[in-house]
Amino acid sequence: MEYLFTLNYLLPAHDCDPDVLVERLGAGGCTDALVGTGLAGRLALEFSREAESGEAALLSALSDIKRIIPDARLVEASPDFVGLSEIADIVGVSRQNMRKLMLNHAGSFPLAIHEGSASLWHLAEVLSWLEARGGYALQHPVIEVARVAQSVNVAKEARRVGTPSAELVALLG
Amino acid sequence: MARTPHPKKDIEMALRYAEWQGWRVEVGGSHAWGKIYCPYNSEVCRCGEFCITSVWSTPKNPLQHARALCRVVDNCTLNQLRGGKVPQPRRES
Repeated sequence: MEYLFTLNYLLPAHDCDPDVLVERLGAGGCTDALVGTGLAGRLALEFSREAESGEAALLSALSDIKRIIPDARLVEASPDFVGLSEIADIVGVSRQNMRKLMLNHAGSFPLAIHEGSASLWHLAEVLSWLEARGGYALQHPVIEVARVAQSVNVAKEARRVGTPSAELVALLG
Repeated sequence: MARTPHPKKDIEMALRYAEWQGWRVEVGGSHAWGKIYCPYNSEVCRCGEFCITSVWSTPKNPLQHARALCRVVDNCTLNQLRGGKVPQPRRES
């Protein structure tokens, strides 16, 4: 199966020449990725990776980058953080339609990660909810890869704050 | 002056599409065949990283690479604002 996902990296100051990095990525077997170097100090890779599973696809890509650009820091794995318009695009319905669905099922719709002028959800949670509800022809590779992207992003975030205390976990409900 | 055509037909077609949408194609590199530059790479553009996208000489899957290049052109925020083609959700079989 082919999995489509994007990895965004922050490049170290001592290793951020885009032309040099692109050649190393090519030599390292990453020609299944579209490489974007439009922002100085950043690197974006849109992989179309053939693998046994979404997890295998994402982990092999992360491991390739670790090997090729050891000091690059992962900013985000996508598709994971999405707003309402992006969800609607992926599901193939209008934004208004998606918004109505969310408001009509406020009790069961996945909780947003952040609510504000631009609210964000984890794509995997929204797609799983839609799948459980039925009636939507969803693309399986998307759900699978979104689940793995979420694990990657959450693990990366969790590492920044350390293990939460038992007291905090109990309070979160 | 005509640039060097890409040896893979599908990718050459994608490059012509990009050029037709105003993108600049620059040849150079070894594993990389060249780069495409967004015409709107400016402060208001939110495309970010993919405003400069590398084109491989021999990608693992040339057709997939060609499709990905077209996607970058279609996804360009300013291109959409000025009435360019809006990408449809990806349909996989």
